[in-house]
Amino acid sequence: MSFWFWHGLRNGVRTTRYPRVRESAVGVSPGRPATTEFASAEEAAAAAANCPTGAIVAVGKNATVLLRHCIHCQRCRFGFPHPLAWQADYEWTAVANREAFGPLPSAYRRSTHIMVVDAGDCGACLRELKQLNNPFYNMHRLGFFLTATPRAADVLLVVGPVSENMRGPLIKTYEAMPTPKRVIAVGTCAITGGVFGHTFMSAGGVASVLPVDLEIPGEPPPPLAILHGLLVATGRKPPVPKEATIETGTRA
Amino acid sequence: MLVVVIFSSVCSVLMMLAAGIALATGQSFEVVLWRVEGMGPLSLRLDMLSAIFLFTAGLIYLPASVFARNLAHQRLHGRYPARNYGMLHFALMISVVLILVANDALSFLISWECMSILCFLLVNYEQSHGTDTRAGYIMLAMGEAGFLMVVLAFLMAGRSAPDWSFASLAAVSGNLSGKAAWGIFLLGFFGFGVKAGLVPVNFWLPRTYTATPPIFVPVLAGVTLNLGFYGILRLNAELVPPHNVAMGLVALIVGSITALFGILYATTDNDMKTMLAHSSIENAGIIVAAIGASLVFRASGNPVPAAIALTAALYHMANHSVYKTLLFQGAGEIEATTGTREMDRLGGLAHLLPALSVIFLVGCLSISAIPPFNGFVSEWLTLQSLLRSAILFSPAVKILFALCGAGLALTAALAVTCFVKVYAMSFLGIRRGPWHPHPRQHAGRVQFASAYLAIACLLLGVLPTYIIPVLSRAAEPLVGASASDSLVPPFFAATPSNQKLPPAFLEDFHNLGAQSGRTFVPGRGLVLLVRGLEKNPVVFAASPSYSLIALTIFLAITWIAVTRSTRRRKLSRKELWAGGIPHLLPEMTYTATGFSNPVRVVFQAIFRPNIVEDTRETVAVHFRTAIRRRRDETHLVDRVFFHPLGDAISWIARLLAGMHHGRLNTYVAYTVAFLLIILLLFRLT
Amino acid sequence: MPDTPLSVPSPQQVGLDDLVVAVRERFGPNVSPSRADGGITLSIMLRDASLLPALSKFLFWEAACSWGGLIVEEHAAHWRLSYIFLAAGTGWIEILLEVPSGTRSVPSISAEVHAGDWHEREAEDLFGLQFEGHPRLGDFILHDQVWPEGAAPHRKLHRKLVDPHELHFRRRPNPEWRPLLVVQDPGSFAMPVGPVYEGGIGESLHFLLETVGEDVLRAAPRLFYKFRAVEKIAEGQTVSETLLLAERFAATSSFAHSMGFCTAIEKLCGLEVPKRAKHLRVVLAELERLRHHAGTIADICQSTALAVAASQAAIIEEELLRSSCRFTEHRYLFGLNAPGGLQRDFDDASVGHLRLSVGQAAQKLHVLEDRLYFTSSFLDRLEEAGVVDSEKARDLNLLGPVGRASGQCHDLRRECPYNGYDSYDFEVPRESEGDGYARLRVLFQEAYQSQRLISQAAEHLEPGPVRATAQAGLSAGVALGWVEAPIGAALHWVRLDEAGQVERYRAITPSFNNWLGFHVAVEDFAFQDFPIILATFGLSATECDR
Repeated sequence: MSFWFWHGLRNGVRTTRYPRVRESAVGVSPGRPATTEFASAEEAAAAAANCPTGAIVAVGKNATVLLRHCIHCQRCRFGFPHPLAWQADYEWTAVANREAFGPLPSAYRRSTHIMVVDAGDCGACLRELKQLNNPFYNMHRLGFFLTATPRAADVLLVVGPVSENMRGPLIKTYEAMPTPKRVIAVGTCAITGGVFGHTFMSAGGVASVLPVDLEIPGEPPPPLAILHGLLVATGRKPPVPKEATIETGTRA
Repeated sequence: MLVVVIFSSVCSVLMMLAAGIALATGQSFEVVLWRVEGMGPLSLRLDMLSAIFLFTAGLIYLPASVFARNLAHQRLHGRYPARNYGMLHFALMISVVLILVANDALSFLISWECMSILCFLLVNYEQSHGTDTRAGYIMLAMGEAGFLMVVLAFLMAGRSAPDWSFASLAAVSGNLSGKAAWGIFLLGFFGFGVKAGLVPVNFWLPRTYTATPPIFVPVLAGVTLNLGFYGILRLNAELVPPHNVAMGLVALIVGSITALFGILYATTDNDMKTMLAHSSIENAGIIVAAIGASLVFRASGNPVPAAIALTAALYHMANHSVYKTLLFQGAGEIEATTGTREMDRLGGLAHLLPALSVIFLVGCLSISAIPPFNGFVSEWLTLQSLLRSAILFSPAVKILFALCGAGLALTAALAVTCFVKVYAMSFLGIRRGPWHPHPRQHAGRVQFASAYLAIACLLLGVLPTYIIPVLSRAAEPLVGASASDSLVPPFFAATPSNQKLPPAFLEDFHNLGAQSGRTFVPGRGLVLLVRGLEKNPVVFAASPSYSLIALTIFLAITWIAVTRSTRRRKLSRKELWAGGIPHLLPEMTYTATGFSNPVRVVFQAIFRPNIVEDTRETVAVHFRTAIRRRRDETHLVDRVFFHPLGDAISWIARLLAGMHHGRLNTYVAYTVAFLLIILLLFRLT
Repeated sequence: MPDTPLSVPSPQQVGLDDLVVAVRERFGPNVSPSRADGGITLSIMLRDASLLPALSKFLFWEAACSWGGLIVEEHAAHWRLSYIFLAAGTGWIEILLEVPSGTRSVPSISAEVHAGDWHEREAEDLFGLQFEGHPRLGDFILHDQVWPEGAAPHRKLHRKLVDPHELHFRRRPNPEWRPLLVVQDPGSFAMPVGPVYEGGIGESLHFLLETVGEDVLRAAPRLFYKFRAVEKIAEGQTVSETLLLAERFAATSSFAHSMGFCTAIEKLCGLEVPKRAKHLRVVLAELERLRHHAGTIADICQSTALAVAASQAAIIEEELLRSSCRFTEHRYLFGLNAPGGLQRDFDDASVGHLRLSVGQAAQKLHVLEDRLYFTSSFLDRLEEAGVVDSEKARDLNLLGPVGRASGQCHDLRRECPYNGYDSYDFEVPRESEGDGYARLRVLFQEAYQSQRLISQAAEHLEPGPVRATAQAGLSAGVALGWVEAPIGAALHWVRLDEAGQVERYRAITPSFNNWLGFHVAVEDFAFQDFPIILATFGLSATECDR
């Protein structure tokens, strides 16, 4: 019989010290495209036209990035003559509706129960969620726990663009949760539909089905971004300023 | 029908009154009917033992009559004459009373036979509407077999007696040889055991209870079952008391086995009436086990433990009558409302029958021996009396007591499982099967009958210290000692000058504050005590009365605290959470079979189910269209006794039938041969 | 049922010409086999639809081909059905059947080739095409309790729906819907599990566990809660847009699927992938396989509640994710494949670094494996759990590690080499018990082979271009691309129209095939084994649902 206790101890402590200290290990986040100033307006326009989801908006010589549409296809970075600047970051959580958002009451600051619903996601966001409780991130130390039932949940994490067959179960899950509750849309698909858009089988984002409080863009958002989102939901970190939306929200 | 009901209600009240007076004053009443030449006087006598049984019978007959009347409207109206039913009902009541007060063998046996026949007539009353009349015939046949055994027992007992009265029989019992005593014991025990429902002669009971119409079943289960115990006590404990320990051990072992088998089959059965019938067998086993323990103690010269055991048996008998009648009435009501008895098809009745759900819950709690209801007290006393076996000398006997005690404890645990299943699968959850509720008129009056019994359950459970002195007064003549002083010592009435209790013992308890409440609590207090001797100074105490008070107080405190602290919370009622499926279908909820399947699997060696069908239909290897399984079980007692017995009798009959071939010449030869044999016999003797 | 003996097969090396001769002999003038291109080696044109079951049976059982998939296309005047088989060592064989548009039904091959069962059900749900003789059609992708009958959303006449007011398919929740229960025992009931899976983080699946109280007799999965109609979205898109879809419908195998799609486009347009790109593709594909298997091993340890082992496997997975991110700037290898090669190049230092970290990961996996095999309580839960014997595995054509654990040694890298895999030295592990323990062993062995392949590919890396430059433009036509994804063999079939836009995209995923095997593994089991069987299968609902 293997002596697992001893093997576990020998592994040592791997846990990141985020949120107290900024995590700077290589590979924790794919980073995000950042606002870039180009040499000319044509270059900026070309960069904007290159983006398959229209996440890049050219304003004069500047190209700004609407992260909630970015699907991390890296086409603005590799194989393109005018690449965008890239920022190694993971704190991306934005508030969906600034006026109505308030973090969970202080009783939930260090004890939050999370219900995860997979509404048609590609598998990457779910896999990143699974990493949240590995020895590197260990969300339990921050007081975040997963529940199996919405009756005991405070935060609803939804991944995926809400496929039509999951619309009903998702709404039922939301209604089965007691107040106070917060809904977090994790991943670009859950915010704007990603590459799946708004079709007869996909609702194009959780906002068309449920009232969303926080949005964590990225495809997929790394575990630290999700952790940041949970900290914002409990009021332990401030959210990122809300960015503008494009009306149609689908790719060009 | 109404007239009969009023009449029988009045009579049951009178029965209770008479019995009550007898018990309260401690006097017996006797009346001689007439004297028969050569047989002796035919007399009736109401002594303490009869009074207990009479009181119980009266207690049960009152709600049973009311219940019968209400259900009669639905069951009998237009199909069978209700008036005839009423007459039979009343006649049965009279015969039961006569059995209980008969004071000589002849009147006893005559009334017993009348009771048997009337039971049969009532069981098969609805004979043209789907009732299994075979079950009634089996009951009659078994009843007659038992009756014959009883008659033989009485004959053996009274061979040297001057007449047939009980007094004479008791007087000559001391002169019986060992073999005769054994013969009487076995014949009487198993003969009365037919009525009481003991293994191996109880295979008629589940069939008959299932086939009996619901108007009669409460009486069958609550009154006639007790007659078996009465017979055992009268013949085998009073008239011909056992001289050696082995007889009591037989009773103890048979009782324990009966209890275990009864509850096993009850737990795995899904038809409500059959399940309750098996549960009656289980309770009968417990009662007989307690009787057996009391016989053992008495035969080994320990009258006080014997009294305790017998008191426990009588208490359990009374309790069982009350809650079994209640449960059977509930089952009848369920069947009337839904049209089905299959627990796999029921569910969600709590919304449909809210009052019955509360009352039925009381019944289930009582039969599962949960305080503060009555089952707890009698089961506790029974197990305590088995624990007293420590004072016996023979280690073999002590081991047997331990094993039987373990068996009874297992029985109690299984009983809880069984009745949790019954209540949960019938009343809670969502409606499962395809049935539609029938509108019930007169529902209010049925509630009276059941509520009466539910209150009786509560009272019998909460006031044991009033009841035990009464019961021990009945037990005293049989065992020669009183249990009330040891079970409910006169705590508050004892003073150092009044030496009923050792002063050191009193002082310990007074220091603990046990004197509080002295002014308004009766002289005996409200605590049951089971004490060991000086060698073994343990004290087991139970007080359902105080527990009820404490329980109520704590519940009240909790309720107040919770409502106070959550006053500001908002309560919103939402749909049931079932994983996001559109709605929870009845097919997705637990069935009764599923609930009791673990028991079936664990005790597979006893059940030995036959797999009747286990087919897997497929269209292709990956495409199952149906998996069909059906399991059938033959009852263990049927397998071991009934079917072999039946086969043996058929074999003998077939052999003898060989004689009836129709040839005249051979018949003449038979006659000649018979004549020759007779002549030879006369010649030789 | 087939009449050939079902021993554990090694695919016969059926020569192509022998096969052509045999087919012509057997089936007469109504079949015409001919060479094809675009990935397909032999295309058998069938003129008489009634011969379809017999021909499929011949190919699957007698010629020992394995099943690929069914591709249904709607043209202006006819339906084009393409049944794909793989003859190991020879190539892809296609039975081509074209029936006029008004045809009511096509004979079902489900009775002969059981693995084709779900393909026909999908075609019926999405296209409305009936398959005569199929045991159960309907209530597959479009759940009966929500969708009306005959919706057929993939028909050309239904647009994708952008405007929410143009709801062609009204959802109508049906309160009378009852699940089809198979166990008919008076006391049986069906425990529902899901779709919001009550075990923490899990994909949306629904199971009905039919039981009589102790053992579960049957667990039928109900999938397609995550169906997003990827194939319908792809219609009318440009190749680069569909590449994004191919990458993202099953993100834990994203590199494999995007590579499969790119391979199809490359075949269609005659693009020759440069050598450096081929080697790098091998590196990245095997990196993905290694990380995917580490994740599956972590899930298996998690399902048996062996917490320390689960944490250690999770450490390995996270380290591989970080190495991937360091190497490619994305943890899940998005945005790398492009038609003609790769979108970007990598310098030697990073390749060396990756090779080092992969070596360390494999080393840790070795240690973990040893420790796990010494934990008898862990092995007890895996042994005999969810057994799929080799006959059933052959019958249902199970792929990937699940199939290999039951003796079905299909690996496209060997049977139909692509991307230069025939020049590498590696083994394909194989076990025969078919239980959870066998599947775990296969996962570990494959992980080590991946590490071996990465080392070899990194060694053979030469400087050069990573993307084919000469492009004649995208041409119209059909092509089949295939790839051995971490879960098994995946097929990507593309038809481009004259404008170079995607007209039909069909992704046949290994999870779609392997879920059929799950039925077989979960008959008569103890309820506590359910999450373990689910974890050892390691199937992906999103890859199946698309």
